[in-house]
Amino acid sequence: MRLLIVEDDAPLASGLQRILEAEGHAVDVTPRGEDAVAAASQEKFDLVILDVGLPQMDGFEVLRRLRGTAADKTGPTPVLVLTARDAVDDRVRGLDLGADDYMVKPFAMPELTARVRALLRRSQAHGGPRITHGPLTLDTVARRAFLRGEPLELAAREWAVLEVLLAKVEKIVSKESIIQAVAGWGDDLSPNAIEVYVSRLRSKLEPASIRIRTVRGFGYMLEEFK
Amino acid sequence: MAGRSLRAHLLRLLLPPIAALLALGAVVAYYPTIEPATQAYDQALVDIGLALGSHIRVGQTEYRFDLPPAVEQVLRTDRFDSIYYRVMSPAGLEIAGDADLPAPPGDAIAHNTMYKGEKVRVVSVQAPCGRSACNVLVGETMVKREHLARDLLLQSLFPDFLIALATLVIVWFGVKRGLQPLSRLSDEIKARSAGDLRPIDAAGAPEETRPLVGALNGLLDEVSAASRKQQRFLADAAHQLRTPLAGLQAHTELALAQPMPEACRAQLEQVHRATIRTARLANQLLALARAEPGARSVTSSVDLKGIAGGEADAWVRQSLGRDIDLGFELEPAPVEGDAFLLREALSNLVHNALEYSNRGGRVTVRTGRANGHAFLEVEDDGPGIAQEERARVLERFYRVPGTPGTGSGLGLAIVREIAASHAASMFIADGSAGGCRVGITFPHG
Repeated sequence: MRLLIVEDDAPLASGLQRILEAEGHAVDVTPRGEDAVAAASQEKFDLVILDVGLPQMDGFEVLRRLRGTAADKTGPTPVLVLTARDAVDDRVRGLDLGADDYMVKPFAMPELTARVRALLRRSQAHGGPRITHGPLTLDTVARRAFLRGEPLELAAREWAVLEVLLAKVEKIVSKESIIQAVAGWGDDLSPNAIEVYVSRLRSKLEPASIRIRTVRGFGYMLEEFK
Repeated sequence: MAGRSLRAHLLRLLLPPIAALLALGAVVAYYPTIEPATQAYDQALVDIGLALGSHIRVGQTEYRFDLPPAVEQVLRTDRFDSIYYRVMSPAGLEIAGDADLPAPPGDAIAHNTMYKGEKVRVVSVQAPCGRSACNVLVGETMVKREHLARDLLLQSLFPDFLIALATLVIVWFGVKRGLQPLSRLSDEIKARSAGDLRPIDAAGAPEETRPLVGALNGLLDEVSAASRKQQRFLADAAHQLRTPLAGLQAHTELALAQPMPEACRAQLEQVHRATIRTARLANQLLALARAEPGARSVTSSVDLKGIAGGEADAWVRQSLGRDIDLGFELEPAPVEGDAFLLREALSNLVHNALEYSNRGGRVTVRTGRANGHAFLEVEDDGPGIAQEERARVLERFYRVPGTPGTGSGLGLAIVREIAASHAASMFIADGSAGGCRVGITFPHG
């Protein structure tokens, strides 16, 4: 994947670059907002990591201009905003201008790489019907799942629960949001029912080392595949 | 009354003029009454003089004074005073009586003088003797007169004294009454919380206290401006720290992912922990700055359940590394508050619970309502906080002696400040399975 980092703090920028390159991405770095806008208008990036506190043209302005380019309108580039401030205004403003995620400095690198993966996966999902997670692949159009290439038999609701978890790998998904996503099929769902579907999913996925962690009283998390 | 009493000061100012007025009043009242009294007494002496004069016998060449002892006895008799007389011929020769009784000077018919060591009043009477007039002096000591003068003085002073007393009483109570607006003002200021730096409303204050209220408001303005400036500085400093810390954290984590000698790794891990601790400290300073009284707070309707849910992801991530079962019991808990601060309070409580719990421990985050009060709390099954340490752990930078881990000792102090800034109260209780239960109960909601 092709990533652009817009960050004026050289040590942080180089750290981010090396970490993301270690993840297998091609990473460009620029400390200037103007250059970022120019670069993005010439090439298509899969993800932009954008610092808000840039000299001269600040991150918000960069974001506004990125969202204004013609290329962006056909297929929006996911933007992960970094900020040293945590004023609620910043967050709202960033998300209003079309940022896809938001991180307050400093952050742990696994957290950053997880968010980058999630953003890339999401933008891919927009483009293609397939979501993969280790040995697991979901074909969202055909509504079929494959484990190590073999078809995996899933009941409709199991499929729906897995789709929700897979859309947010390494993030906690509350039971409530699972119920909301699954209850489209009509009758009411109790939290207990969700537990049943999750335990069935576990018995099918754990042989392939795909783990669903229970967060007591809250929900579930599909762990990173190692 | 401590210090410089306004009353005493007023009385000190008022007493001399009141005393002077009293004296003046006494003098003004005294002379008009003493004058007729003096004249009456003088008239009595004149009568004696005339009576004495009638006893002058005019001879060929000399005057004789023929006063029967019984008459003299009567004339000289007085209950209080001694009476003296001196009879002189028209030529001024002594005829009878006390020859050394001093005559009024010049043409005066009466005067006060000294005689035989006493004050005497002497009147001069012209008594007919033959074709001319003999001079009879009658003197009288002044006991009666002084009695009268004293009585008259007291009579005129008494009402003045009552007026003065009334004045003092009026001043005493009037000052208290007059100062009532001031004590109302001080009550209003006393009733304020330490962080309330809003100007005092001058509308209800009396005209005379306006300058005081104005000066106080000026001071409050300056204090809150200084406090805002300090908070801004603290917030800027904390923000500025974050970017280099992010770089430091990125590079240590990168380096830790490389193969390296064990000794190096151990040291680098120390660096990494210190980095994370410093980042946390920056956040805590920011929270403290925001929770300070007078800080610009961003109050809105927030649900503690939503705040806890929003942070659950980050907390669970922390708990995974420590092998702690982090669970949630979240019920709606609507409050009016600053979402950033409430999140920081909860984060500090969760962080503490994770930090001080044993591996394999159990930490539960709760929000909800109990007895009509919204609350948030975090319970752990760690070592707990001894009863005698509970007050001290709320102090900034205090850490229970012998505590493992790397806390700054700011966490609970921040929670307390945040609780205070929401007019809420913080509690530390025993956990149901050992450990402790720390949280905030909100006043409404």
